Amino acid sequence: MILAGRVVLGIACLVVWHAAHLALGAEWISSPADIVTRTVEIAIDGELWRHTLATLTEATFGFLLGGGAGILVPFALRLSPRLTAALDPFFAAAMGVPKLALAPLLILWFGIGITSKVMFVAAVVFFFLFFNTLAGVRSVDPRLASAVRVLGAREWTVTWEIAWHTALPYVFAGLKVALPRAISAAVVGEFIAADRGLGHYINNARAMADTVGLFTGVAVVTLLVLGIDTLLERLQARSLAWQPLTRDAGV
Amino acid sequence: MSDTAAPLLEVRGLGKRFEPRGARAEGLWAIRELSFAVGEREFVTIVGPSGSGKSTLLNLIAQIDAPSEGEIRFGGRSIASPTSGALRPGWERQFGYVTQDDTLLPWRTLADNVLFPLRVQGRLDAETRERARRLMQAVGLQGFEQHYPHELSGGMRKRAALIRTLVYDPPVILMDEPFGALDAQTRAQLQADLLKLWNGGRKTIVFVTHDIAEAIALGDRTLVFTRAPARVQSEHRIAIPRPRDVRNVYGLDGFPELYERIRKELA
Amino acid sequence: MSRGQALRDRLVVAVVALAAWQLAALVFGAHWVSPPLATARRFLQLVADGELVRHAGFTLAAAAGGFLVGGLPGAVIPFALRRMPRLAAVLDPYLVAGYGVPKLALTPLFILWFGIGLASKVALVASVVFFLVLFSAAAGVRAADVRLVGMARVVGASEQAVARHVVWPGAVPFIFAGFKISLSYAIGAAVVGELISSNRGLGYLIQAASQDFDTTTVFAGLIAVTLLVIVINEAVEAAERRVLKWRPADAQPQRRLVTAA
Repeated sequence: MILAGRVVLGIACLVVWHAAHLALGAEWISSPADIVTRTVEIAIDGELWRHTLATLTEATFGFLLGGGAGILVPFALRLSPRLTAALDPFFAAAMGVPKLALAPLLILWFGIGITSKVMFVAAVVFFFLFFNTLAGVRSVDPRLASAVRVLGAREWTVTWEIAWHTALPYVFAGLKVALPRAISAAVVGEFIAADRGLGHYINNARAMADTVGLFTGVAVVTLLVLGIDTLLERLQARSLAWQPLTRDAGV
Repeated sequence: MSDTAAPLLEVRGLGKRFEPRGARAEGLWAIRELSFAVGEREFVTIVGPSGSGKSTLLNLIAQIDAPSEGEIRFGGRSIASPTSGALRPGWERQFGYVTQDDTLLPWRTLADNVLFPLRVQGRLDAETRERARRLMQAVGLQGFEQHYPHELSGGMRKRAALIRTLVYDPPVILMDEPFGALDAQTRAQLQADLLKLWNGGRKTIVFVTHDIAEAIALGDRTLVFTRAPARVQSEHRIAIPRPRDVRNVYGLDGFPELYERIRKELA
Repeated sequence: MSRGQALRDRLVVAVVALAAWQLAALVFGAHWVSPPLATARRFLQLVADGELVRHAGFTLAAAAGGFLVGGLPGAVIPFALRRMPRLAAVLDPYLVAGYGVPKLALTPLFILWFGIGLASKVALVASVVFFLVLFSAAAGVRAADVRLVGMARVVGASEQAVARHVVWPGAVPFIFAGFKISLSYAIGAAVVGELISSNRGLGYLIQAASQDFDTTTVFAGLIAVTLLVIVINEAVEAAERRVLKWRPADAQPQRRLVTAA
């Protein structure tokens, strides 16, 4: 019953979409059929893969760079509570910086090639992972840490056993939020200045009044992000099997 | 025992002050001028009103926290004083500590939790594994080895926490109201389990509780603490012969008189 | 650690950060890293000639407009859906997918439809804010339902009374939390819209300056955006503290450091 409703709604959406396409004209809204046709076209001539690969490369390297740093730094900060306390207000301020506004500066610094987008993605991802991991590391139960020390664990074990496990759900929450954003950051970076990538493809289509191209590019990006979202959901459910109830911790 | 041989564990003039926080300008002494001694293989229970610094005392002995005054001696050596430097939790595995709330690692299975101390101490081998298995069996945890803590009942988690400490055989075990949050039935069962295990290989135990009956039923000797700042108000030797039937403490020889006496002191 | 020491430590961190910034400017050259003093001077100059206020005003207008257009329906819809569980179930996967759609990647679409002016930014911001508020409000409605609605029904409250006296008050904090989170996203989205295609706004200021290789203005613009977000966040927190004065201090989220053991 509900499933049927969902299917009907999906079909209705497509119908409305197509009606809008007919009513408003092809230069404003492309029909779903045209988008599919274009997708197949650019898939065959290789353009789709070239741009997708560029975007995914930027997103991946930026994600690894920013994510790795974002996860490691909070653990490093465990070593010096005093430094952490001193940095605290600066963290709060850094949280306020709209990271996306950094794109022009990074393009200025690193050029319109892949490097600037990698750095941009890294900047965006870093903050997500950093704040989430920091919250996780800070939520370590001191009683648990004491208990483990009494049992004979060294500080290294405390970090690994307690801080890591406590932070893990937060890290996952951060990864889950950051991974799709890594892709959209790469795309936004490409909107602003690039010679490759899905964002470049979309922007180019807009400049050439190629509405079908614009819609196709946006559709590909959207499906990519939603696909990765779903994948992550599955992965997380698996590795946090020990958790009793809620799976979503963190910010 | 404490008055015949040299004590194993000695607390001398111990004091712990908590720094003032917020509006309260004065710091708060949880413990002050506290002295007592525990002999080897002695089971000492401590009763006192809630908030009387009993947990603080165990934290100081376990070296989770540092004293503000006085010292703690172990085997004739001073191991903790305001000037003794960095804390060494558990004093090199000499002190086991079973706390009020269970501190099992939620992301490890029951078996992994019990084996955890052996693993971090680098002592995990066939022999210690067998020991762990036997202990788990003794308290009825067999069959639950692969369960995560949140899948177990409160009583089972308590048993696991107890076994986790017994498995690496520390000479002294500190227990902070370990059975506090359990229903009466489970509690009696666990008390019986504890006595059975203790009779099997006598350890030195310092057992904190606010339940007078529990203090008498389990201990060789019980110390009655004052309100904070805690000091020893009185001390009672418990002459009830072992083995004792903890399910029927009121029927034990000499129990009612002792219970009445301590109750009046605490009132 | 004493309070004075913490303050001193923070001062040291600030000085070190400034020094590092200055050093970077010296090492890489002012063309790449605008030195602190020059940036401050440019910032003041932009304030003095009204440029900054004009651009910030545009960005704020885009953010506020989108905030209203997206936020209000986002707050109301979960209440409407509460009475229609079947419709809610049908819509659920679509709303979840809508939440997951990378709205910023839709910017060129909005520009195609609404032009490069204010309207396209409002639409972009609204699309971002709508889903954030929607899911916060939905969580609030759910939380209220679980805990209290059953009790209210047991004591004989009518459906309307339940909605007004139980669900609504219970959900309000969640809606506010959603609004609060959305604020900085709203500004971020407005800035992104301006970066990509605009003729006004802080994003435009930054993007135009970067195309002129005017690093100093890029820096000043970034600082302006950051300040805007920080000021708005602080204002909201101050307002929240006033409105929620009755709440015990413990119930308020901790903003200070709790050092992990």
